[in-house]
Amino acid sequence: MFDNIISGFGLVFAVGPILGIIAGVIVGIIFGAIPGISAIMAIAMILPMTFYLGPIVGITILLAVYKAGIYGGSISAILLNTPGAAASFLTAQDGHALTKAGKAGKALDMSLFASVSGEMLATIVLILIAAPFSLISLQAGPIEKVFLLLFAFTIIGTMAGESIPRGLLSCCLGMLFSMVGMSSITGASRFTFGYTELMGGFTFTPMLIGILVMPEVFNVIRRRKDPQNKLTITRSPNPEDNRLSFKEFRAVFKTILKSSAIGTFVGALPGLGSSPAAFLAYSEAKRTAKKPEEYGKGSVEGIAAAESANNAVCGSSMIPMLTLSIPGDDVAALLMGAFLIHGLTPGPMIFFEHTQTIYAIFAGFLLTDLFLLVIARAGFKFFIKVASLRQYYIFPCVTAFAFTGAYTTGQNMDDIIVLIAFTIIGYGMRLVGLNPAVFIIGFILTPFFEQNLDQAMSIVGTDYWQLFTSPFSWVFIILSILSVISSVRMRKKPVGLPKGKTA
Amino acid sequence: MDRRKIDIYLSTFLIIISAIILTDNNLVEGGAESNLSSMFLPRFAACLIIIFSLTIAIQSLMKLTKHTEITANEIIPTEGLSGVFIYIGILITYWIAMLYLGFLISTPFIMIAVAVLLGGRRWGSIITMSIATSLLIFYGSKIFLRVYLPTWTL
Repeated sequence: MFDNIISGFGLVFAVGPILGIIAGVIVGIIFGAIPGISAIMAIAMILPMTFYLGPIVGITILLAVYKAGIYGGSISAILLNTPGAAASFLTAQDGHALTKAGKAGKALDMSLFASVSGEMLATIVLILIAAPFSLISLQAGPIEKVFLLLFAFTIIGTMAGESIPRGLLSCCLGMLFSMVGMSSITGASRFTFGYTELMGGFTFTPMLIGILVMPEVFNVIRRRKDPQNKLTITRSPNPEDNRLSFKEFRAVFKTILKSSAIGTFVGALPGLGSSPAAFLAYSEAKRTAKKPEEYGKGSVEGIAAAESANNAVCGSSMIPMLTLSIPGDDVAALLMGAFLIHGLTPGPMIFFEHTQTIYAIFAGFLLTDLFLLVIARAGFKFFIKVASLRQYYIFPCVTAFAFTGAYTTGQNMDDIIVLIAFTIIGYGMRLVGLNPAVFIIGFILTPFFEQNLDQAMSIVGTDYWQLFTSPFSWVFIILSILSVISSVRMRKKPVGLPKGKTA
Repeated sequence: MDRRKIDIYLSTFLIIISAIILTDNNLVEGGAESNLSSMFLPRFAACLIIIFSLTIAIQSLMKLTKHTEITANEIIPTEGLSGVFIYIGILITYWIAMLYLGFLISTPFIMIAVAVLLGGRRWGSIITMSIATSLLIFYGSKIFLRVYLPTWTL
């Protein structure tokens, strides 16, 4: 494995990947820092531009955008008290209190160091665990994969939706939409209604941009009359307040390590995402803190706990995707689509079929952390200035880029209709409490599910009881039932999320 | 707007669609023989959709009949929705305009329209930004991605 890691670094230390990482980090920080644009939007918009690049450069750019975008979200959370996602809510609480006290520089520094530390630790865990774990998952045949995918649908649907029926309904709708077009197994055309344009199914990228990116533009337009605050760094006359000292970093290092471990563990579990990780790590840090009363009122340690856990999810959410073909959260689902577009099928075989490529991507993942640290530290003022642009400059560009991205995929004007249709569907889903990310996961996983189910049926013939002879099948059935029960119990308890926000 | 009422309408719609999927054999054409019928998985998904839609509809109906107090999640905010409809109109216009006028001509006008919708009134900078971005995307796609965006066809 270490030979592979070294050869991966060899491949990534080239002009293309390095420039890609730098561009990805800059784009990610800017997009993440703009209120109203999230990391997932940034990835969806950059994705079509990577089609024409090799998989190493293309995927590395997307991962750099992802990591930097998650960090960028903390900039607007700290300076404006506008968390882009529920996961940044805690960072906003403590960070904005520090900003009001004139210590924005200290809060931003802490957020950056904690983010990079959390991401780096999770990436190392990803590199060390993914390949050995894939050896175990390679033992799974079609029957086991069917139950594994059923488990994935259940856990993602039950954990990620606003309520269990809404989450599972979102997943089923995604399944149904993925079956439009020619069946890859029988060659039959389903739900095409005689339109040959529908034979290939819905094009993934326009649908993705429509479901995940454009509804955010709708939200901005709906709130267009709200006053737009400007991002500014408050400065204290005391220089110590404007930066983080090594002593302060050392004092919170244990918290960072513990929170990163929590974030890595939670991120590796499919369906949970970054919000529960941040909340769990924050409450654990508060429980063991010397001054718990400072939490929520401008605690540097609080920022460290929330940000390191939040960012650790970036690396570990790739573990189930790369070893079991199950995307851990919405961004992982998007990245899974990107892997597929670049000819890499996420799953245990990726470590054997594309060894060099996958380790080069891992190396790029680690390098991104270093570039993020340097670029973010050097360009705080620049990023804040760009992110402060008025929304009437930003969102016309988002519209033009979204249309270009949709068209670029197949150079087909029909894809623009797909984009517009799914934009309306995606916004409608949000309004009625359905989860677009779960919809996307259902859409991506269903072809794999159908293929494995067909193979499983070929194996068992009419002896359907043979589906339940493998112990793995029972393990996944029990895990599916447990996930539903635990989700029901979790929802009965108040989780401390702000009103109206869901994990 | 009360989301619980929308839940009932939406669930009814989804149940009708699912019932059609379950009963109509003309939704699939051709295909080879396989262990798994081409309509097995769509019908399986349709059954699940009926179950979950019914669950949502019954929950909402019970809340409505019991006059339970409406929670924050159950209110669909309607303020500013007119802007959303205008934006959808702009998107459809953009698609039609791109078909006939091409990317380079239609994009600046559409970007200006979106900027105005968002309250932009600094005409000089908005027009400059719209034209510059359109040129950048058009020639950037052509040179770097080898993607030829639609051109004037009138």
